[in-house]
Amino acid sequence: MIHAEQLNRQFGGQQLNQGYAVRDLSFHVKRGEVMGLLGPNGAGKSTTMKMLTCFLPPSSGTARINGIPLGDPQGVRRTLGYLPENAPSYSDLDVTSHLQFIGRMHGLPRATLNDRIRELASACGLETVLLRRIDELSKGFRQRVGLAASMLHDPECLILDEPITGLDPNQIVEIRHLIRRLGEQKTVLLSSHVLPEVEAVCDRMMILDGGRLQVIGTRDELARQAQGGMVLQLRLRGNVAAFEANLKNTLNDCVFEDVKQHDGEIQLTVRHHDVDAPLAETAFRSAVACDAVLLEMHTEQTSLEDVFHAMTGGAS
Amino acid sequence: MNTVASTTMQIIALCRKEWRVAIDTPLAYVIGIAFFIASGFFFGNTLFLVNEADMRGWFGVLPLVLIFFVPAMSMRLLADEHKSGSFELLATLPVSTLTIVWGKFLALFTQLAALIALTLLYPWTLSGLGSIDMGQIWASYIALLLLAGSYAAVCLYASALSRYEVVSYVFGFILLLALFLLLQVATLFPPVVQTVLLTLSPAAHYQSLLRGVMDTGDVMYLLAMTGAFITLCWFELERRRWN
Repeated sequence: MIHAEQLNRQFGGQQLNQGYAVRDLSFHVKRGEVMGLLGPNGAGKSTTMKMLTCFLPPSSGTARINGIPLGDPQGVRRTLGYLPENAPSYSDLDVTSHLQFIGRMHGLPRATLNDRIRELASACGLETVLLRRIDELSKGFRQRVGLAASMLHDPECLILDEPITGLDPNQIVEIRHLIRRLGEQKTVLLSSHVLPEVEAVCDRMMILDGGRLQVIGTRDELARQAQGGMVLQLRLRGNVAAFEANLKNTLNDCVFEDVKQHDGEIQLTVRHHDVDAPLAETAFRSAVACDAVLLEMHTEQTSLEDVFHAMTGGAS
Repeated sequence: MNTVASTTMQIIALCRKEWRVAIDTPLAYVIGIAFFIASGFFFGNTLFLVNEADMRGWFGVLPLVLIFFVPAMSMRLLADEHKSGSFELLATLPVSTLTIVWGKFLALFTQLAALIALTLLYPWTLSGLGSIDMGQIWASYIALLLLAGSYAAVCLYASALSRYEVVSYVFGFILLLALFLLLQVATLFPPVVQTVLLTLSPAAHYQSLLRGVMDTGDVMYLLAMTGAFITLCWFELERRRWN
């Protein structure tokens, strides 16, 4: 659905060559997938979205939205809905007029347009403010007006730049449900700073830093990549030296860390560089083999926050 | 055909939106009232001081009056879009930049035309006071609309140059004033330069049209100037995307 290949965007246009806002970015978002775009400020998230919506031309590279290349901007824009950062809208208009204007620009016939406005007003919780001027609305409402405007023409693909900033916790839950529901049939690419939100909504995510793609994958894939392999935490009673020897014998390159002894119980961490290694299973069998009692065993979950810090060079 | 129809619909939608904003906000009314005070003053001046039921003087002074009013009506059109970020919303709709420019231009031009249409009250008043040549009045109104069109294009371009409304106003005002002053300073130059300056001055062509002769050259000049500034405005908006 969204297919980006080697996208580049230089600051100040091609002639000035003042460095890159986005560098060699290639990724793929499947139909019916919600993709999260993460990264610190200035990582190139918004620039990427602006290129995909044909607002900024890429310095080089190509992308296809729903099979339509960026070279056909009208075609691309017809197939996608876009919520720009800060959800700009015509603040001098009331909500209905604003949505009507957007619908007319998409060429929606009058009857369809009014139906769609009613539908989206209820989906985005705008029924009470339809006749209010947009500049009188709170940030949360404005955000929802922008969201409704982006979905008015029932696009195949949605690109949402920070869709949940400025919303209160209740609204966040509503919008989360809305995006999830949309994600069942449509392709959604969204950027956000709110990591738990991305975790809750997105099927896959990618992290950008300094304009480059650092990592892309599901939450678990990201976590394992950030850890640099599998990490297993164990608590056991018995002969730890025998256990270590047995485990290392069965599974090469295991690393034992933080071995602590306390009241006859041993706590330790085992690492393995290969994320797909059967570490937990092997550890269990080794414990049985050396007659050690396994009291506790779990694979360590790295939080998305840790992944983010690891991938973007921030402090952990 | 389909694209022509959808482009036309988009231009109309843009135009409607600008009218909606104009009707909903006080700025348009303030400008309208100020325009009537100014134009009414010049109308009354000829009527009561010179004691003539004649509108030639009024038509003659309007290019100068419009220099103050057209930039005020246009300053928001594109500057505000850039400042509030709504240009990004507009430019990512399935619409070409040129269509956006035409929509904005048509909105401005029809608003100006509406303002000018309301001044038909003056010749109507005069027709009750004495005999006036309505043919000449209509011809002058057509000339005025052509001039207003070129002013609108110049000021729309000025509005694209800055994010700030006030700066856009000043740009528009200076551009229009410079074009107007060509007519005044032309006499200071040798005949060759004078001819060039007079050819470039919209006011000179307008005044030539006011003499009652519909010269195709004058009409074409005003239309060409309108087209030229619409093109400049289009280029300016496209240029912004690349930088």
